[in-house]
Amino acid sequence: MTDSFKVIKLRELSLGQLKKISRDLALGLSVQEMARIQSYFKNLGRDPTDVELQAIGQAWSEHCGYKSSKIYLKKYIFGLNSEKIYSQGDAGVVLLDDEYAVALKMESHNHPSAIEPYGGASTGVGGILRDILSMGAQPVAVTDVLYFGIRKYKNYPSPEFIKSGVISGIRDYGNRVGIPTVSGGIYYSDMFSPNVLVNVGCVGILKKDKIAKQSIDKKGIKLIIAGGKTGRDGIHGVNMASANLDSGSANLSTVQLGNPIIKEPLIHAVLEANESGLIYSLKDLGGGGLSSVVGEMLYAGGMGGVVYLDKVPLKENDMLPWEIWISESQERMLLGVEEKNVPQVLEIMNDWDVTSAVIGESVEGSKLTLYYKGEVVMDLDLDFVTSPPLYQRANRITYKEYKFDIPKERENYDGILLKMLSDPNIASKEYAVRQYDHTVRGNTVIPPFTGIIGKEGPSDASVIKINWENYTAISIAHGSNPFYSQIDPYMGARNAVDEAYRNLVSANSIPIAFSDCLNSGNPERPERMGEFISMIKGLSDEARELGVPFVSGNVSLYNETGLKSIPSIPTILAVGKLKDYRKAITPDFKGVGNPIYLIGKPEIEFGGSLYFRIQRKNGGRVPYSNPKVLYDRSERVLKAMDLGLVLSSHDVSEGGLALAIAEMTIGSDIGAEIDLTGLTFGRPDFFMFSESQSMFIVEIQKGKENEFEREMGGSSIKLGYTGGQILNIKLNGRTLINLYNDQIRSKWKEGYT
Amino acid sequence: MEGGVYLNLPKVAVLTMEGTNNEEEAFQSWRGAGANAEIIHIKKLENKIRKLEEFDAIFFPGGFSAGDYVRAGAIMASRLRATVMRDIENFVDAGKLIMGSCNGFQVLIELGLIPNIGGDYEREAALATNLSNRFEARTVYLKITNNTCPFLRKFRINQIIRLPIAHFEGRFIPANEDLLEEISNNNMIGLKYVDPYGKEVGYPWNPNGSVLNIAGVCSKSGNVLGLMPHPERVFNKYTQSDWPRGNEEDYGQLFFKGAVDYLNEKF
Repeated sequence: MTDSFKVIKLRELSLGQLKKISRDLALGLSVQEMARIQSYFKNLGRDPTDVELQAIGQAWSEHCGYKSSKIYLKKYIFGLNSEKIYSQGDAGVVLLDDEYAVALKMESHNHPSAIEPYGGASTGVGGILRDILSMGAQPVAVTDVLYFGIRKYKNYPSPEFIKSGVISGIRDYGNRVGIPTVSGGIYYSDMFSPNVLVNVGCVGILKKDKIAKQSIDKKGIKLIIAGGKTGRDGIHGVNMASANLDSGSANLSTVQLGNPIIKEPLIHAVLEANESGLIYSLKDLGGGGLSSVVGEMLYAGGMGGVVYLDKVPLKENDMLPWEIWISESQERMLLGVEEKNVPQVLEIMNDWDVTSAVIGESVEGSKLTLYYKGEVVMDLDLDFVTSPPLYQRANRITYKEYKFDIPKERENYDGILLKMLSDPNIASKEYAVRQYDHTVRGNTVIPPFTGIIGKEGPSDASVIKINWENYTAISIAHGSNPFYSQIDPYMGARNAVDEAYRNLVSANSIPIAFSDCLNSGNPERPERMGEFISMIKGLSDEARELGVPFVSGNVSLYNETGLKSIPSIPTILAVGKLKDYRKAITPDFKGVGNPIYLIGKPEIEFGGSLYFRIQRKNGGRVPYSNPKVLYDRSERVLKAMDLGLVLSSHDVSEGGLALAIAEMTIGSDIGAEIDLTGLTFGRPDFFMFSESQSMFIVEIQKGKENEFEREMGGSSIKLGYTGGQILNIKLNGRTLINLYNDQIRSKWKEGYT
Repeated sequence: MEGGVYLNLPKVAVLTMEGTNNEEEAFQSWRGAGANAEIIHIKKLENKIRKLEEFDAIFFPGGFSAGDYVRAGAIMASRLRATVMRDIENFVDAGKLIMGSCNGFQVLIELGLIPNIGGDYEREAALATNLSNRFEARTVYLKITNNTCPFLRKFRINQIIRLPIAHFEGRFIPANEDLLEEISNNNMIGLKYVDPYGKEVGYPWNPNGSVLNIAGVCSKSGNVLGLMPHPERVFNKYTQSDWPRGNEEDYGQLFFKGAVDYLNEKF
């Protein structure tokens, strides 16, 4: 026997020694879990190798095993509107039409980004691209929603360092790999010091009959590893992501290194092999590396397998078998290929200068056996490895008293609106987003900023055409509001879905799929777990009524440091469909003298609202979304758009209708005359700045008021007209807001020239 | 694509290697303009599996060839220089067409194809880091300053058009003042960055700080064009960022249609 692997004398150990072994080998397993493994090997009548223990440590991590969340995801999310899902695997897939389908997924890269922001964020992009590729889909868009802290905490990197690292990481990876970064969001709050959240999404297009499967259900299928070589980077990444963040500088070796210039040809090569029908099954190597992907691919098809670890192309030749097996080195894909197709697949890889090697094959049974230089280093039943214990952890749902401090009424709200425009959560994100290539691939119909060149304002959704033959396109948007979630995780989640949905509708697209990235704290704390469950219930209750499935998602727990935890925050990636992208609608006003309508009704519900936040006041309960109302209004708005009545549209979110209208002036340089007389009998500021859900502002064709109002069935309120160089809002002859378009734009773009 | 029916169409090679990434839209743009386009990995040229002489035009797409970790375009150019430089020179001498956009422009400069004032394919210029010191992704206004180059023949002199840019290294600077003068005197400046009124002004309208606001340069004889903006990304107006405001022109496809017309007339 060589010294490349060790047998661990597990059977004779006490509980205390088991705990020590878990710590010494960085397995991240609890004493109870170690005891379960011990009794398994007692039954087998032998002791495990280090390779075996490491493999179990990977599969049983929270990150891979969803130990704390799976029971709740099954209860509330899985199966929801599932008749509309075409396929689920590393990403979820829904059909667009008879020929095409769309794959989407959003996922967190929070823990690595908190330690090494550049590497963490860039490999986040790399990982999500591979998830889409695994479905046999061409990635067409990358998205990212980022949550940065403000205050620096001792022993942790400064928020400024984190922010610039994350943005550069996304830029350098996305731009180099040639997939446009088209949508996202950036939030700033002390909730995210020092626990930064980096949620990255990807959307891909595939022909539905070319979808790749991710399981192997017959013997003799060869396993090919393709792409980057395997190195010591990213070892124990999943275990690190399944624990609280103890300090900012720890565990640098757990963060992988990305290389987009290996990824770019890998995408071409894999898609070419898939298009030629040469791939039997396909999966990406992410968290847990080979140990996760080989096990999952075989187990899903009821097969066992053999793998020769010495056949894996390595960066460093002295790597030990257990390191090869669990390394999370980037840019790698696992291909299951029928023996007769192996030479052709290897040739395609070679044509693209992509490293590839046959490393094993599927066999009958449920055992996975690993060899290293002729010796068996692991021989385990996949039933055992891939079945971590699932926990229904103690949870406590707390009901808070909401405080409501009434701000004073003002004569004039110019100052308030300008303050809102320059709030870092609202102000233009061009300083980041203009560093991301959003037109590469030549399919971007609506980019993240739209309007007159040099004066562009924000878009609600980005629109990407799917080919060069017809007018079909997809729309992409997000929903998330950490300020609501902090106060009320249940309603925060519902409102996130509402926001994502209305963003898509505002661009004249029909929402067809969601992906949910769920961020939370330590699930071993009952109140955290309670919040987490509330969030999942909120997503479920909202999406069920809207008839849209969650096709994919990810859970990131332990976003916690000492006593400080993030709230339970979902980021929703939403995809919609446009039959004719020439009918896409943007928020910038299009003409002068056109009627402006509000769809919806502002209520006094200001918890987490921008209006109260900038005045440092408590706003009571958060807005309540009603999905039936949202669905009804959306159907009416889409019908009016289809009839050609609507010229521009913007969803009402933070800052209420006043800020929404201000944003519509930015890209158009067209002002608005708004008269609230007769519309509000309470305080006009509550009317202007309410963030009640499911609301839209639309500009419609002149002279079409009657037709439009009929279509809206009573849910529209006429506010005024477009035109001029000024946004003017008045009530009973009194001016509430009077600002030049240029003032609004320059405040919003402050800090970006 | 099958041969046969397409035999008479001009043949275009869209060259690719690891890190190039506009090849798909370039391929589609050439095809849309009526050419028989093919994406060719430069390995196939190096291994002599394919030859440049099969083609009537070459397109160098944008992206980050080989990661641009040395200098933008440098590795792709040095690989080509080492293996097929003679073929490229013959290609140019035959009056066939070459276009490079963004990273492709950087490759043309590294290959010495642009501006090639001296005529011996030395590197005479650079595309340096943007003065803003950041990657710039947005739409710019451009003025057409030469329409004898086949790629620009469908435009009017002084016509203002809009195209997307997305680059970090796009500031055109010739190696010395004399070269700049030669470029101007020989009417080699193809496009310039301008403001919406056609005036040559500074940042942000000149997004990278190029001398004389140069956005694109043709060779002396006009059959080679390098430019930083991306016509291949806006083949039709619906991928032009401001189309919802009623922009009615398809600027991107005019570059490719001009080239295809020229090739149909000449070859």
